[in-house]
Amino acid sequence: MLSLKFVGQTLVIAAVFLGPVNCWSATPTNILVMAKSLDDLITLDPAEAFEFSGTEIIGNLYDRLFEANRVGPGEPTPSLAQSWSVSEDGRSYEFLLKEGPVFENGRPVSAFDVVFSLRRSVILNKTPSFILSQLGFTKQNVGARVRAIDARRFVLETDRDYAPSLVMNILSSAMTSIVDREVVLAHEQDGDLGHEWLRSHSAGSGPFRLHRWNVGEYVMLEANHEYPNASTKIERFVIRDIREPATQRLMLIRGDIDIARDLGPDQIAALAEEPGIATWSAPQARIFYMALNQKNPILALTQVQLAIRYSIDYQNIVRHLLPGRAEVHQAFLPKGFIGALKETPFVLDTARARRLLIEAGHGKGFSIKADVRSDPLALQIAQAIQASLAEAGIVMDLQPGDGKQVLTKYRARRHDVYLGYWGPDYLDPHSNAAAFARNVNNANDAVDKTLAWRNSWEIPDITRRTDEATLVRDPSDRAEAYRKLQRSLQTNSPFIILFQERALFAMRKEVTGLEVGLTADQIRYERVSK
Amino acid sequence: MKIARDASHASGAPSSRGQAKLARFSLFWRLLSQNLMAMVGLGVVILLAVVALLGPVLSPHDPYAQDLAVRLMPPNMSYWFGTDELGRDIFSRVLHGARITLSIVVLVAVIAAPFGLILGCVSGYRGGWFDLAIMRITDIFLAFPRLILALAFVAALGPGIENAVIAIALTSWPVYARVARAETLLVRSANYVSAARLQGASSWRVIRRYVIPMCVNSMVVRVTLDMAGIILTAAGLGFLGLGAKPPSPEWGAMIANGRQYLFDQWWLATMPGLAILFVSLGFNLLGDGLRDAFDPRG
Repeated sequence: MLSLKFVGQTLVIAAVFLGPVNCWSATPTNILVMAKSLDDLITLDPAEAFEFSGTEIIGNLYDRLFEANRVGPGEPTPSLAQSWSVSEDGRSYEFLLKEGPVFENGRPVSAFDVVFSLRRSVILNKTPSFILSQLGFTKQNVGARVRAIDARRFVLETDRDYAPSLVMNILSSAMTSIVDREVVLAHEQDGDLGHEWLRSHSAGSGPFRLHRWNVGEYVMLEANHEYPNASTKIERFVIRDIREPATQRLMLIRGDIDIARDLGPDQIAALAEEPGIATWSAPQARIFYMALNQKNPILALTQVQLAIRYSIDYQNIVRHLLPGRAEVHQAFLPKGFIGALKETPFVLDTARARRLLIEAGHGKGFSIKADVRSDPLALQIAQAIQASLAEAGIVMDLQPGDGKQVLTKYRARRHDVYLGYWGPDYLDPHSNAAAFARNVNNANDAVDKTLAWRNSWEIPDITRRTDEATLVRDPSDRAEAYRKLQRSLQTNSPFIILFQERALFAMRKEVTGLEVGLTADQIRYERVSK
Repeated sequence: MKIARDASHASGAPSSRGQAKLARFSLFWRLLSQNLMAMVGLGVVILLAVVALLGPVLSPHDPYAQDLAVRLMPPNMSYWFGTDELGRDIFSRVLHGARITLSIVVLVAVIAAPFGLILGCVSGYRGGWFDLAIMRITDIFLAFPRLILALAFVAALGPGIENAVIAIALTSWPVYARVARAETLLVRSANYVSAARLQGASSWRVIRRYVIPMCVNSMVVRVTLDMAGIILTAAGLGFLGLGAKPPSPEWGAMIANGRQYLFDQWWLATMPGLAILFVSLGFNLLGDGLRDAFDPRG
């Protein structure tokens, strides 16, 4: 059987070779087609999904109690929740749900569904479960600590008096999406809480429902017109799994698709002269960073770390290699987060780097190995860094590998230098702070394998400060605590934060209403129209 | 004396080994040089060798020097082949890449050809279970497409030029063993081999002095024809990110980098692509010519 994708690719290839024969093929007005690489899509169960594509689609299928503020940093806005209150001791939250939201089969969303969904995420204990269970929930106690009072009210008890903003932010992450308890339980197999079924089906109250997912070809969503505030005239939203950016570009020009998601800066620049196509970019929470393994005695020297910070041409890399795709950012919290630090004290200063290396006793330079994912952009950045490090006398031998290979080595602490991306797991400063500035146990068999652990960075004092920041209840004091942490890591840590990413979009001019937040689960299709 | 030599010349029988070799070579060269395509191929191969040797002297820029301000420049007077995504001169990179390509080709030939030759000759000469075992092993290797097998080896050994060479060599020897064995089967019962054996020559001596020389010709042809395949396999590995590591100007890796710019900046992938085409074609033409010259009947 010929697959859609194959036919599509054949057409594209034919189009290239046949030249400008007129075969304009606009998509129907009530169907919107978006091309995106879905190579990371493995599950659509909110309790399991931890990938960019998965959480993006889940964001459009399900509602959560809160929704991240897409306009500016700060408190998330209530979504399914109407109001909430917190007890005197700061450990007990009571929530009241909105009246009106319904699941895709028309059943109203109740507190029982909410409690079931939150418990389910903890009990299933999949990759993202730590986001919720860090509030002190375990398989054993979640039944008692998350409980419904009546159909519209429920209680959530945490183990410590965390900052309310942390709790709200956690309840806005994709893994806390509310699923339809009755539908999910009807598809339960061997006590899996409907996990197997929900991986490829939807049971939510979001603006769309899953119509069909053909692995390797497309995901088709169907609009839920009952959804409040949905203004879309789109009946179906189709995400086609097209992995080659060049193919996406051709299809966009030909009108076979309405939105292309994976074009690089150079392709976007080339599309600027194309009539009928609009390009734009939006900030993302993902940062690009360089990590130095402290097991390497040279990289553990503060002067060497500083020398490397001064041997990177941040500005020119962004200007020439990443126009519209990234901006210089040098702290672990991305702009848009509470307490994000905007200072960028480091610029290329090779002379200073050389002096620092001499101070460190490595005036003759040294060589290190760097692991990097072999995606074109990361490789370009890595090669630009390689060239400027060489000027300072540091020979960086690049070892490109596929994502899995590189990450496995990084997680096993067998790297010298790691170059790669980091995206926060949820929209709270603690998400990144817990990764970069927390290492409870530096032993090889530690349970908490944070980024600091991966680089064998022993930091009892900083770890304590990171944990304390989760308990600061005053929002501005909490932001200040994170700014202090970032300043200390900025000058003295094995992490060199280089850029904050921007997502690039290319769409047909008639398409409007695509909403983009900082993380994948905030890319929303509900107001898209054309 | 003079008369005798003339007589021997007239009858075509050489008076010494050296003379016989010279005569054979002159016949071979006459046949080869009459073949225009083969001479073109030879020219390309010589050019590759010269460029590989003198590349650093000939190249106008440092192949590793980045200048982000002039990235993706189309071919012009100062950058003859244009610049790549990091502003490096593609012409200089292609010249430097010749050395990498040539060293891969030579290394593979030096490792795989003698190994296959000796194994094939021993296998064909000894026969029996040894022959059977060796040939089944070559069957196993030949059952896989070459690039796939090389990919598997490189994935196991880790990426890098050295490992790419080892992987390609591991996939090339079975063909040579087969060719050598076929030739050996033809000569092993020849009278001169029997004569040597009757005089008490050991098996090893017979193989070394009487069998291998007979296989060398077809081997040289086979290896030359294979060079194009080796270059393509090496470039394929580089393209998939399993060959040379960045910033090395390996042609396959250069094409992989240029792939995403093919629509707007065609020169990134096209220039190294042309280099691969040119060199592969050269080896193929030369190989064809060598085959015709070594075996005029064929």
